[in-house]
Amino acid sequence: MGKKQRKKIVLPPELPPEVSEDEIEVSDEDLQFVNENRDYAGFVSNLDTKSITRHVSRVADVKEDALEFLYEKRLRKKSLEKESEQKGLEVDRVDALPVKTLDGKLVYRTVPKISQHSENVTGGDQDIGDNEADGVDKSLVKLTKPEKRAKLKRMKKEAKKQAKEVENEEVQQTPQAVVLAEVEKELTALEANERKKYKLAELGTALLTDPESNIKSLKEMLQISKDGDHAIAVLGLKSLLAVFKDIIPGYRIRLPTEKEQEMVVSKVVKKMRYYESTLLSTYKGYLQRLIALEQQASFQLVAIRCICTLLDSVPHFNYRESLLAAVIKNISSADDVVRKLCCATVKSLFINEGKHGGEAIVEAVQLIAEHVKVYDCQLHPDSIEVFMSLSFDEDIGRTEMSKADNKFKNKKNKKRKNSEEPSQENDKKKSRKELMSKTRDEVLTPETVNADFKAASLTQDIMERRRMQTETLSAVFQTFFRILKHAMQSIAARSEGISSSSAGASGGHPLLAPCLNGIGKFSHLIDLDFMGDLISYLRKLSGGGSSSDGSSENFLKQLTVSERLRCCIVAFKVMRNNLDALNVDLQDFFVQLYSIILEYRPGRDQGEVLAEALKIMLCDDRQHDMQRAAAFIKRLATFSLCFGSAESMAALVTVKHLLQKNFKCRNLLENDAGGGSVSGPIAKYQPYASDPNLSGALASVLWELNLLSKHYHPTVSTLASTISMLSTAQNQVYHSNVSPQQAFMELSLEHEPFDLKVDIEKPNHKRRRGSGSSVANSSGTNPGITDWTDEDTVRKRLSEHFSLIHDISENKRLRGELDRTTWSLQLYEQYKKQKKTKQNGSKPLKMK
Amino acid sequence: MGKLGKKARKFAKKHLQSVLKNRRKTKVFFKRKSSSKGQQDTVENQVGKTTIPNGRDPEGEDLKNISLDELFTEDDSDVVEDASDSDGFLSEDQEFAKFLASYKKGPEMFQGEEMDSDEDETSNHSMRLVDEDSSIMSQGKVLTHSVINSLCQLIKDEHNKSALKTLLNGYRAACWYGTDSIGVPDNASCQRIQNSGTFCSILMFMLREADNIFRGLLKIPSSSCKKESILELKNTSKWKSLKPLIKSYLRSTLFFLNQVTDSEILAFSLSRLRASIIFFAAFPSLLKRLMKATVHLWVTGEGVLSSYSFLIIQDVAVVFSSECFGICLIKTYKSYISRSKVVDFVHTKHMQFLRNSFIELCSLDVHKSCAKALLSIQQLANILKQGLRKKKESLKKICSWQYANCIDLWVMFISANICDYDLHHVFYVIIQLINGVACLFPGPRYFPLRLKCVQWLNHLSSSSGIFIPVAALVLDVLEYKMGKEGGKPGKAINFSSVLKLPKHWLKSRNFQEECVFSAVEQLSVHFAQWSYHISFPELSTIPLIRLRRFHEIATTESLRRVVKRLIDQVEQNVEFVQKKRDDLAFSPKDHQSVESFLQLEKGSLNAPFTQYYKSVMQKATSRNLDTNGIKSSMECKNLKRKRGRLPSKMLNGGVNR
Repeated sequence: MGKKQRKKIVLPPELPPEVSEDEIEVSDEDLQFVNENRDYAGFVSNLDTKSITRHVSRVADVKEDALEFLYEKRLRKKSLEKESEQKGLEVDRVDALPVKTLDGKLVYRTVPKISQHSENVTGGDQDIGDNEADGVDKSLVKLTKPEKRAKLKRMKKEAKKQAKEVENEEVQQTPQAVVLAEVEKELTALEANERKKYKLAELGTALLTDPESNIKSLKEMLQISKDGDHAIAVLGLKSLLAVFKDIIPGYRIRLPTEKEQEMVVSKVVKKMRYYESTLLSTYKGYLQRLIALEQQASFQLVAIRCICTLLDSVPHFNYRESLLAAVIKNISSADDVVRKLCCATVKSLFINEGKHGGEAIVEAVQLIAEHVKVYDCQLHPDSIEVFMSLSFDEDIGRTEMSKADNKFKNKKNKKRKNSEEPSQENDKKKSRKELMSKTRDEVLTPETVNADFKAASLTQDIMERRRMQTETLSAVFQTFFRILKHAMQSIAARSEGISSSSAGASGGHPLLAPCLNGIGKFSHLIDLDFMGDLISYLRKLSGGGSSSDGSSENFLKQLTVSERLRCCIVAFKVMRNNLDALNVDLQDFFVQLYSIILEYRPGRDQGEVLAEALKIMLCDDRQHDMQRAAAFIKRLATFSLCFGSAESMAALVTVKHLLQKNFKCRNLLENDAGGGSVSGPIAKYQPYASDPNLSGALASVLWELNLLSKHYHPTVSTLASTISMLSTAQNQVYHSNVSPQQAFMELSLEHEPFDLKVDIEKPNHKRRRGSGSSVANSSGTNPGITDWTDEDTVRKRLSEHFSLIHDISENKRLRGELDRTTWSLQLYEQYKKQKKTKQNGSKPLKMK
Repeated sequence: MGKLGKKARKFAKKHLQSVLKNRRKTKVFFKRKSSSKGQQDTVENQVGKTTIPNGRDPEGEDLKNISLDELFTEDDSDVVEDASDSDGFLSEDQEFAKFLASYKKGPEMFQGEEMDSDEDETSNHSMRLVDEDSSIMSQGKVLTHSVINSLCQLIKDEHNKSALKTLLNGYRAACWYGTDSIGVPDNASCQRIQNSGTFCSILMFMLREADNIFRGLLKIPSSSCKKESILELKNTSKWKSLKPLIKSYLRSTLFFLNQVTDSEILAFSLSRLRASIIFFAAFPSLLKRLMKATVHLWVTGEGVLSSYSFLIIQDVAVVFSSECFGICLIKTYKSYISRSKVVDFVHTKHMQFLRNSFIELCSLDVHKSCAKALLSIQQLANILKQGLRKKKESLKKICSWQYANCIDLWVMFISANICDYDLHHVFYVIIQLINGVACLFPGPRYFPLRLKCVQWLNHLSSSSGIFIPVAALVLDVLEYKMGKEGGKPGKAINFSSVLKLPKHWLKSRNFQEECVFSAVEQLSVHFAQWSYHISFPELSTIPLIRLRRFHEIATTESLRRVVKRLIDQVEQNVEFVQKKRDDLAFSPKDHQSVESFLQLEKGSLNAPFTQYYKSVMQKATSRNLDTNGIKSSMECKNLKRKRGRLPSKMLNGGVNR
């Protein structure tokens, strides 16, 4: 208690006037109160830390506390009333210091309780400082140890956070309180800005500490954010973003109907309603402001960033639609940063389904689909790329689905499904796990009623989720097919000779590549009815329109080689995913690939795509068509003679793979006179054939390998030698090969380390040349220099040189002499002058 | 008079530094380098040894600011040396004066090796020097023609040393004639050499005969060019008595080299200096000076002068291979690289000469130069790596003549030596390097660079017999925008003299022609190399397809004709090889038999494709001459105006690729 007294002695001078003022004025939740309260809280936090550390550091205190704690406990048991009082006290104590619950809520402050608490104090006349001290002790009493620790931590954090502001505030607060009105007028614009910044900081912190009681200041912040000054406005937007991100509840606010409003409700509910409506209206205002600002170039980035962050963090909340619309609108923005932001947001929206229950996904996908439609497929590839992060859960309503699907799918289907199950199963498990853990997290926080509800009503939700998923899927595929169709149309337009400007095809097909990737990824979800059309589309596209007449150059410009290759790849992926359900001949795609190989250009086309095509179409192909394999082997070997090491390597790896798989093709490695027994219907090899089956490749010999084994790249040359050594006799076991893609990546120039073995091993001499002889030989480069005969010219030159130099030096000498003479003359003049002055000077002296 | 002059000199030295400096600058010569300090020698030697760790940059990250010619560090602190140069000169003179004094009294007074180190008491010595000099002057005040003639006679007939000494003295005066550098009483030298006749005869006689005289006195056979013969003599008294004379001669000649600008005189003195290169073995500091002077002349000189300088460099590298080879390499490399910053047409020829001679130098010791090559290539590769990461600065650096010439240098070096030495690690890297450069600049504006890359690759391939696919690179050049025909004729373009084309050239017809011709040339080089190989039909498959397509599309008749001819020839050769191949009994895995395939025919060089290739090459050279001819004649005119003499005859001879 002695300590307390000491405290009493120490503290009073600082506090009384302000606090008493506070008590008198602050009975309502108005702005003044907030300001004062901020100050008050800051002050207390400073004081509190001191006292608490003092308490914690001393063992005796703790013991005392414990005793007191026990005593109070007993007391509390005795009287309920008292307990309630103390509870109020406790709450007050806590709220004086910013307390944050796990979900980021700070709600405990109530003003009446403060007054109550002040009344409660026995010495009513006494200064607040005493109160504070008392309060500290009492609150300490109430806290268990972990709580105490947590509180301490919180306070420290808060103190740190506020430290800067508090300093500034404390300096400025007093003058502000006293002469606010006058000073404000006199302030220069800069100071006003500063003030606004402080204000923003104050309001923001207050809101964070206690949103419920300070909810009104949101409006003020919004007002500030509409400031004319750019920096202030940006700051305002940002602080509002931080506040909203923090205080927006985990559920969607439904404003009470008129009927509900008429009903008589308790104070708490009223308060809650007020809070919610204020929050919602400000949020709306904020969003409107953001969306308006997003049009302005100077604010665009900030606005987009705010919108994206909000959409990312509170997708469940009201007005998501407008947020989404704004994001999707900018998803193919020309500005890289903006586009990346939007795409990332949409992606995270797709991935974190649990945050919003999937509705946002449907909306987003539909919006994108609409966007694509409006812009006629002329968008940035990124805008479609986001679909790749979608995940579809096949499990939803599996039972119903399987019932429905049984009509279409035969028994084999199941088998296939089983074979593919493991990977998908894993995915599903993972996603479900994530979902579960997420919901669990939300359950832990008492506020997330919605999630709680969801968890409870999971069974009901299934139908709903399935519906949403179907909608999403249909929108996604609608987009994909639109893009495909668009590409088709432009090709058709070209082939029919319609003017090239039609259908906006001039810019190529930016969306085709991501679209094809998407189809490849989700091909297992495509309705089988579409399959036939899809494949035929792909077939046409992979032909690039050149199948009708291949000579015209314009056609090739329609679709790039990479895009055509992608079409082939996708077709194969689709087929592989639905192999049994479809009865489509993929022969055409092989023909395409066969000719595309010849059209490949290393700089222009993407080698990775080619490698992928080789991998999927040739290496992974399960069919064994010897003719075709031989044709590809031959063509790829030829191909590898013309292009860089990376392409060669990819081709050679494929060749090796094919040779290993089709051991009959190893006849290509043998020079059988007359083609041997296996030669096909075509007796002679046609290197320029466009159909692999008509090339007669089986009749050829892989002589390429000999040249390739002389290749400068050691990897290529060794592989070529290995291939040439594959024997026809034994059927070798498949080695674990590198894929063509891997091979390509490894040898591409970007990965070339350019490392020289620095341990300069002495170059081994194949033939040592005597150094002497080389010198003798080397004079060959210096022609006609045997001996100098032209001495006369040299003599002449020398004399010229001499006369030149002689003249120069003579000139110099003369000039030097001249200089010297003039100099001495000058000297003499000076001497004369000096003499004169001396004489003049001496005369007066003499006179004296 | 003498005293006064000395005082004036002192004054000048103290107060008129800037004037002196200016004078030195206005002389046409590059800064002279003295290396009279023994310490400096050791420093240089160390530098020579430590260049490898210094020049290497294992991280390759902070390469940004390293320019190509800074690879090998070397301490040429010219400023400092310039100052010390005068000192060295002084000391030499004191030494000489001392020597003269001692010579009168007796040989035991001679001070041996210390001569270079006692420079500090300059004022003291200079006084003495002047006195001595004047005394000598009084002895042979004016060297007239007759005096010189008699002296020459004396030396020739009797090997009279005192006469030689007098003559050397005169020679020195002649060499320093007109240069009023500190320490030499110019009026004295002026007085001693009165007319051009004397001047000429002294210089001529000394340059012509000095080597023989010294050799005669030292009894070294004139054919001997081994430094050991000098080093052996080092302790004999005969050497000791002659050493200062020789040194005086060498030093004077070197100084003379720096004074004279006329190429004839330079060439003559260089050729004479070359004869007495072994004497430099005793004077390492002078050797350094010689190196510097000759390297400079090698790079800047023209025609004969350059070749003479190179001969000296080469001789130095051979004779003093242990100490000097590295320095020679570094110096020549650096000056080559710094020279290749600026490019004009005459220059390219000179650069070729420089490159060839540098490679010759490298070939003297492939070990050592291979180490240097590794370093340099590594640096190039590091720059390329940054370029692949699209750093603008390095991209700029890569598309520069310095970079290109550097690659060119090492490509030539490798292809010259790959047959005899195992250079495969360097070989592989440089191919990747060239490929990288070609990939980095795909645009049509960079076609000249790309064609250069192809040229290099072809060169490497043909010299090593290793297969390097270039068809794709060439065909891209061929197929560039063939749809657009009939642009304006435009200016004559020569791809060999540019790396990057200005934009407006891209539309000209000349550009198209140049593209097609160059592509056809390079393709035929590529095909010609493998025209006897068993895989030729396959090798030509894809290029043939693309050539045919080009032939279909192209409308310009002249271009079509050229391409058609290539197609026909290739097809003919394909048939030829295929026919031969059909008769074979062995399989691809039988590498030995494959190797021997068509070797006989290859030897005879009568196959149609070889003939075709030859004709294409001839046309190419004539075409190049055509486009170059215009320029070169222009350049020649300029030169005539400038120099009054046409070195192109020599140059053309000097460049044989």
